[in-house]
Amino acid sequence: MWLANSNRALGSARTSVRFVAWLLVPLYLLGVLALYTAFIYAPTERVMGEVQRIFYFHVGAAWTAFLAFFFVFLGGVIYLMRRNVFWDYLAAASAEVGVIFTTIVLVTGPIWARPVWNTWWPWGDPRVTTTLVLWLIYVAYLILRNSLGEGEKRARFSAVFGIIGFIDVPIVWLSIRWWRTIHPVVITKTGASLEPEMVQALIVSVATFTVFYIALMCLRLAMHLHNSAAEEMAQAVRERSE
Amino acid sequence: MNNLKLIWWLALKDLKIEYRSRQAFLTTLFFAVLILIIFNFAFDPGSNATREASPGILWVALLFPGIIQLNRSFQSEVEEGTLQGIVLSPVDRGVFFLGKFMANWLFLVAIDMLILAAFVVFFNFTLSGGLLWVLLLMVLVGIGFTAVGTVFAAMVSNIRIREVLLPILLFPIIVPIILAAVNGTREVLIHNDFSTLFRWMQLLIAFDVIFLAAGFLVFDYVVGE
Repeated sequence: MWLANSNRALGSARTSVRFVAWLLVPLYLLGVLALYTAFIYAPTERVMGEVQRIFYFHVGAAWTAFLAFFFVFLGGVIYLMRRNVFWDYLAAASAEVGVIFTTIVLVTGPIWARPVWNTWWPWGDPRVTTTLVLWLIYVAYLILRNSLGEGEKRARFSAVFGIIGFIDVPIVWLSIRWWRTIHPVVITKTGASLEPEMVQALIVSVATFTVFYIALMCLRLAMHLHNSAAEEMAQAVRERSE
Repeated sequence: MNNLKLIWWLALKDLKIEYRSRQAFLTTLFFAVLILIIFNFAFDPGSNATREASPGILWVALLFPGIIQLNRSFQSEVEEGTLQGIVLSPVDRGVFFLGKFMANWLFLVAIDMLILAAFVVFFNFTLSGGLLWVLLLMVLVGIGFTAVGTVFAAMVSNIRIREVLLPILLFPIIVPIILAAVNGTREVLIHNDFSTLFRWMQLLIAFDVIFLAAGFLVFDYVVGE
């Protein structure tokens, strides 16, 4: 049927934009609460000082990035099973937001690590290095998408790469841990336990980042759906004018 | 015809083409030797620091040129239109994957052995039994590298920027085997610590099994349709 696909895509896009609109007020309130708990409510860490507050944003972004990459995997699997391009766009939107959040993790990490661990980049920490590899994998995912035109092939290849990348993560983690435990670990985690207020601030921050991720992901998803609908309409117009 | 024979035939076809032209083989070999030599210029040859870093140099010289062959293995199929022929023939896609994998892997191990010889010469290592362990590492690393690489090479074979794209996709994924290869080699050649070597070999075997299986299963989605 003429423009059947783009009608469906526009319908899905409308739903996801409406969902984001519904999320805006809770997201705003959560954001204000998260800023309050991170900067005012949570006490200043005695040893690390104010710089420790970056931790709430760092962990929030890290958790969200992992969640996003899980959705890239899930979207890929469901796409290959159902062949509905919606799931491919969901995976793409998740990867985009995931890469942004991983970048936040990789930028806030050194800012915190320099004064506390006295090093910008602690190669000895498996979390840090695994996150770096994760960033590489999903940037590669976006480059792969970028180099393929719109269509069924891009969806298929992206799904395959997303699945292989996700399977790889635990092996990367294990190998980096072995790599560093064989040689003496120079940097160990400072055994600072968290105050209850800090834990509460962390929970609020993680919740905020999660909602923020869902909102951003839905917006990007809507954009991809609009894009594909526009593409199909342009195609239809070209066919008619011929 | 049974599947094992089919895999072997598919691999033999690629190896025969390569044997007759020797194009990828010589290019890859030359590139690898070039890397070994450049690193000797970049670092102070004969110093302890260079010796300590030499396992890393060896693996850079093996894995970077390895990309050339992977790219070629599907490029010629696309150019000659033979990929379609294979896809249309009543061969399971997984079998096709294993055939391609086998050819690429044998090619890589053959190159590896020659590079190892050049490495021993340029870095003044003594001939010892440890080199046989490095050879075993090469066989294991080759399996993982080729398994993932064959899937990705098939994906990029139709993309204009495939030469750049393949390493960008492949190297982040094979970080674990790069770590295992470099550290395993260092344990054998420099520290003589075999218990650690075996641990790295376990990791390599796990990686190989997981990604051979993954490649076998997903190849259906990569070619054809």
